[in-house]
Amino acid sequence: MAKPKLGIFSLTGCGGDQLMILNMENELLDLLSYFEIKDFQEGSSYHEDVELDIALVEGSVSTETDLKRLKEIREKSKTLIALGDCAIGGCVQAMRNGQMSMAERMKKVYGVEEDYYDVLEPKGLSAHVKVDLEIPGCPIEKTEIFRAITSLLHGDLPETIDYPVCVECKLNGYPCVLVEKGMPCLGPLTTAGCDARCPGLGLDCIGCRGPIPDEANAAAELDVLLEKGYDEKYIINRLRFFGGNFEDIQKLTKKISERRNKTEGNE
Amino acid sequence: MKRVIEVEELTRVEGHGRVEVVIDGEEIKDVNMAIFEGPRFFEAFIETVHYEKVPDIMRRICAICTASHSLASIRAIEKAFNVKVTEQTSLLRDLLIHGEMIESHALHVFMLALPDYLGFPDAVRMASKYPKEVKAALRLKQAGNMVHNIVSGREVHGMNERVGGFSTVPSEQDLKQIKMVMAATKPTAELAVDLFAKLETPKFAESDNVLMALDPGDKFGFMGDYVLVSDGTRHPVENYQALTNERTVKYSHAKFSSYKGSSFMVGALPRVLLNKDKLEGTAAALYDEHKDLLTQNNTLTNNLAQAIELVHSVDRCIEDIDALLSNGLKNEGLVEIEVKANRGTAAVEAPRGILYHDYTFDGEGCIVKCNVITPTAQNAANMEKDYRAAAKRLISEPDEKLVNASNLSLEPTTHAYPARCT
Repeated sequence: MAKPKLGIFSLTGCGGDQLMILNMENELLDLLSYFEIKDFQEGSSYHEDVELDIALVEGSVSTETDLKRLKEIREKSKTLIALGDCAIGGCVQAMRNGQMSMAERMKKVYGVEEDYYDVLEPKGLSAHVKVDLEIPGCPIEKTEIFRAITSLLHGDLPETIDYPVCVECKLNGYPCVLVEKGMPCLGPLTTAGCDARCPGLGLDCIGCRGPIPDEANAAAELDVLLEKGYDEKYIINRLRFFGGNFEDIQKLTKKISERRNKTEGNE
Repeated sequence: MKRVIEVEELTRVEGHGRVEVVIDGEEIKDVNMAIFEGPRFFEAFIETVHYEKVPDIMRRICAICTASHSLASIRAIEKAFNVKVTEQTSLLRDLLIHGEMIESHALHVFMLALPDYLGFPDAVRMASKYPKEVKAALRLKQAGNMVHNIVSGREVHGMNERVGGFSTVPSEQDLKQIKMVMAATKPTAELAVDLFAKLETPKFAESDNVLMALDPGDKFGFMGDYVLVSDGTRHPVENYQALTNERTVKYSHAKFSSYKGSSFMVGALPRVLLNKDKLEGTAAALYDEHKDLLTQNNTLTNNLAQAIELVHSVDRCIEDIDALLSNGLKNEGLVEIEVKANRGTAAVEAPRGILYHDYTFDGEGCIVKCNVITPTAQNAANMEKDYRAAAKRLISEPDEKLVNASNLSLEPTTHAYPARCT
């Protein structure tokens, strides 16, 4: 049987998801030998512009150039996989979406007008093209990408995770940092799969695997954290670290800022 | 006649870069090194964020030097709030940054740079001819990642190092395991030195280099509060703006730096040359043996300097662990922080060179203003200077050989610098 043709691509991000593939030091050489690698920007100078069976794409769409490349990749790939938070919801660079315009960002960082570079408000891949599978994480977990790649070799898509970090926290028997220590943990609305790494180290979850699709209840989290004594600005920033593009969190931000403006208007 | 050489997408770099050289007759008209990694605006979106989670966000600027960003960020915050950390914390941070250096240099030296010299497009294909060497390189890289995992919590974007200390102190057993792996993999670090000392380093990019590195104090290392320049001057890191003079350029998303009107280089070669007297043990001996090969004006000798730093870092990890264990590990918790409206600037040596973080806080400990200068931004202008020198020899190449000749010189010049981090 012919080996599937694989391409690994990167748009705007930190390069961490490709790096996690390179970090599979024990499995890397064996795993890649099952494929014909046609593109791997971070790891190889080899490049062949051909139809692909699988494209792994990390990074957010943050420039017109990103968007053009993404469309080309989609066009030539049977299966397109979004690798990591940047490619799913834009990750941290989407934190101020809907809050701070691109013009303002350009002014603050480069001191120039918006059209100086071809920037777009950062979004995940599915905002622009059809995506066949999303693998969350900032960065992705090695076990998860390994499982995904081996499933794909057998012609299947792997199962996705639809439960919160709290489940893994409980399974590990960690004390709840939110209830017991009052720490601002985002575990209840964050996609599991990290084995509750942060609570395991005595830290509160910052939500780096993104809100659970269709399940995360941001309003309930806000209420819990308000009750614990955190202020709205702090909580909203917190929810936006990895959730700037999620509808529920955007709605919540809008509601709060409208309420604030109203109160300030009444004073 | 006008000819344009373009390397559309530089590969085996983390991030996105493009080089364009315009030759007109016998003259090089223009050299543009564009870093077109999409801009992410960290300095803008971090405003109003409470200090405690600032390092968790800022470290996501770069995957491969995530701990460097995290430590620069933490130290800038600690300077703003006058936080003094314990000896154990300092040792664990030193261990972490040396682990990062191993992970990054092993990847860079063996997997990104070496294929150029041996004529392979990548390390995976190189492994078909040199399986033993590539596997050894992966084990060395893994040793560095083991430090990330145990000290920081994971390989990329860890979380355990905090403002004021470590959330959870690693166990004695885990530290002993790192030590064992480091000792076992040291020969691979020495092999890297041997390889790059034997390979003939091309001289096509040779041109005047101004060097900058942090002054690590008495011993060679990667943290410090002063910057050394090859013109013999020494400056507090707080003066970084006068040292870097960043400017925005249209064709690159990374800003360009200059010092007294000239480009300058940061990274392993500047560190080794400016702090050579501080090297110890095997690294010092290897430096002495090969010092004639490390030349200030040939950026391509950076790979050999990285290899020497690999040996230094392996030894230092062992030394730090010995010190931690002989002091006895304590669960000391985090130092209490008292926030105030203030500014703090700190620098660390990321694998690619000096990295500055500069924050201003309001009275509640939230960010009012932020500025980060990455090593890639500092090196970008110097890369252009090197490409220009390399391009000079391309003028005489006939058209049909031009693309190949440019690949043979521009790519290795790129791989002398580990590019990234916009």
